[in-house]
Amino acid sequence: MKRLSVIVTVLFLCSIFASALFAADSFDLTIPLPLTGKQAKFGEIMKRSYEQAAEEINAKGGIKGKKLILSFEDSSGKPETARAIVEKLIDVKKQPLIVGEYTSSCAKAVAAVAEERKTPYLVVASADDDITRQNYKYVFRQNQVNAHYADAFVSFLKEVVQPKTIAILFESSAFGTSGADAMEKDAKALGIQVVMKEKFETGAIDFKPLLSKVKAAQPDVIYSVSYANEAQLLMKQAKELRVDAKLYAGGAAGFAIPEFIKGAQDAAEYVISATLWTPQLKYPGTKEYADKYKAKHGDYPSYHGASAYAAIYVVKDALERAKDWTQNGIRDALKATNFKTAYGPVKFEDKEGYQNQNFHETLAIQVQKGEFETIWPKIYASKPYVFPVPAWKERK
Amino acid sequence: MSSVQTEVLLQTLISGLLLGGLYALIGIGMTIIMGVMKIINLAHGELMMVGMYIAYVLFSAFHLDPYLSILVAAPVLFLLGVALQKFLINPVMNVDSILPENQVILTVGIGMVLANLATIIFQSDYRQTPVSYGTKAWYLRDLWKHSPIELSLSMPWSVSFAFAVAITGGLWFFLTRTDMGKSIRATAQDNDAALLMGVNVGKMRVITFGLGSALVGAAGCLFIPIYYIYPDIGGQFTLISFVITILGGLGSTVGAIIGGLILGLFESLTATYIGMGWAPVGRFVIFVAVLIFIPGGIASLLKSRKLGK
Repeated sequence: MKRLSVIVTVLFLCSIFASALFAADSFDLTIPLPLTGKQAKFGEIMKRSYEQAAEEINAKGGIKGKKLILSFEDSSGKPETARAIVEKLIDVKKQPLIVGEYTSSCAKAVAAVAEERKTPYLVVASADDDITRQNYKYVFRQNQVNAHYADAFVSFLKEVVQPKTIAILFESSAFGTSGADAMEKDAKALGIQVVMKEKFETGAIDFKPLLSKVKAAQPDVIYSVSYANEAQLLMKQAKELRVDAKLYAGGAAGFAIPEFIKGAQDAAEYVISATLWTPQLKYPGTKEYADKYKAKHGDYPSYHGASAYAAIYVVKDALERAKDWTQNGIRDALKATNFKTAYGPVKFEDKEGYQNQNFHETLAIQVQKGEFETIWPKIYASKPYVFPVPAWKERK
Repeated sequence: MSSVQTEVLLQTLISGLLLGGLYALIGIGMTIIMGVMKIINLAHGELMMVGMYIAYVLFSAFHLDPYLSILVAAPVLFLLGVALQKFLINPVMNVDSILPENQVILTVGIGMVLANLATIIFQSDYRQTPVSYGTKAWYLRDLWKHSPIELSLSMPWSVSFAFAVAITGGLWFFLTRTDMGKSIRATAQDNDAALLMGVNVGKMRVITFGLGSALVGAAGCLFIPIYYIYPDIGGQFTLISFVITILGGLGSTVGAIIGGLILGLFESLTATYIGMGWAPVGRFVIFVAVLIFIPGGIASLLKSRKLGK
């Protein structure tokens, strides 16, 4: 036993020395993200996108001549694991910059660690408003905040749907709760009556009692915020019960990834979701990224992937401008970012009570014939929207 | 009551009944093990998880319908249960120890090993079997055009429920009509008396554990078309079957059936009239209330009625 531990220690030290030796001509970046567990699907999309960006950058000569070497650590979507990974990266590996994570709970934990250790942290796809609202100096967020997630969807509601009533269903997680609160506020501002606002436990089996209540309330719009599994079960059971509304809508995440259509099958048809990015956008590099991803992995990426892909370019841009590759050097460079990516323009601003937040346009997508189509804002639309959606009974 | 309210109530009762039927099947497996062995099998949910993964693998590899995979999952789980009892639990039973609940602790360990093995083999991803009839349902208005209310009956849920009823019926027949079933019941009623009457108690224990595992494995196959799986799914079902076992009265099969139905109905009614987020709270309210007010569970109520007559 003792001998084994000695061998392990020696090997470990060797690997540290080895990485220190090779550090001269490469930049190592370890990214924490969920690769197993409930959020594994999101993690997978993001990992593939990070890798695609790194490959492209290295093919063109790397960052200031240094090769970008990515590695990944699985946090399983657990905040305590994410925290431990990042503590190790900063304290042991001395990584001057943290990128990644997915769920809001994990990103919050990582943000606290990064701020405490004065290490810049670039949040890629975590929505909870609070992450960039705590006067953190070292936390940057590239994706839109939850309060604005549904902006395009809300403008669609205002201009096209003009509903009188809305029912809001949400998962009892940080993301679900803040998404539901944001929608309630938006609905009130538009004069839409919130007839129901109810949460459900993660892992619930039977949504039918909840849905029959929704059916009785007869809302014009049903809006749900949840991750992947519950989104699929909800729509499947809504179809079983024939809960008819003028519009079914989801707040990104579980409703905006290809697995939603695969899992919910025909029950996913016509569902509209808020999203932060679609492959049909006309930013420079968007089409190339999406097509290359699809050719390799079979599906178009979701906004999670696009943001991850762009994050690597944002890092490259910041590293190239940074005075030195120290924590503060990189932080100052990130702060001055004004850069166009495949995800859209990225600029970290302090406004509306947020710090280092990138505010960007959001979109609405609709499932049509088993594919996501961009429907709003009109200038980006790839297909005209279908509204009102046909009743379940009339669908074949 | 307006027709809308009636519709909500009836639909809630239907959901509750269907869910309760499935709960009952999960609960029965734990109850019969409890009856014969006098221990709570805390690896119960994990055994169900094994059944679900068997159905998942058969579906993704051979496109075998999850309902047909019961024919594979139940025997496999039976053998697994027999092996667990024979090689792990029995030896522990014979060891004198400070804690009399050694076997219970052992089942917790077995559950952990199973969950972690599943994580190693399948990763902790969430998986489903997208069956073609996944969202099919029957509607009252399709059958009777002028019905004042619309009710729907989900096809996979109803089929799962029917299977659960059939399996429970089969178990009933086995326990009341066959020699071996009677021996199991005798062992459950009085271990020593059964031994004196020439029942091979050791063998009955092994068979009972296998039977309980097979039942919950079958329940796993019934859940697959309507739910999803991941390695740690066991805990939530162990909890549900534990509540049902307590509610039904430790070791009572009839109690477990009624207990499962009550729990299903209670959860659905809570979801409709209080809020879906409250369903887990309701579960524990029942649990505590039963322990305080009817410590013997439903079985004790049934028994006292019989004696009173």
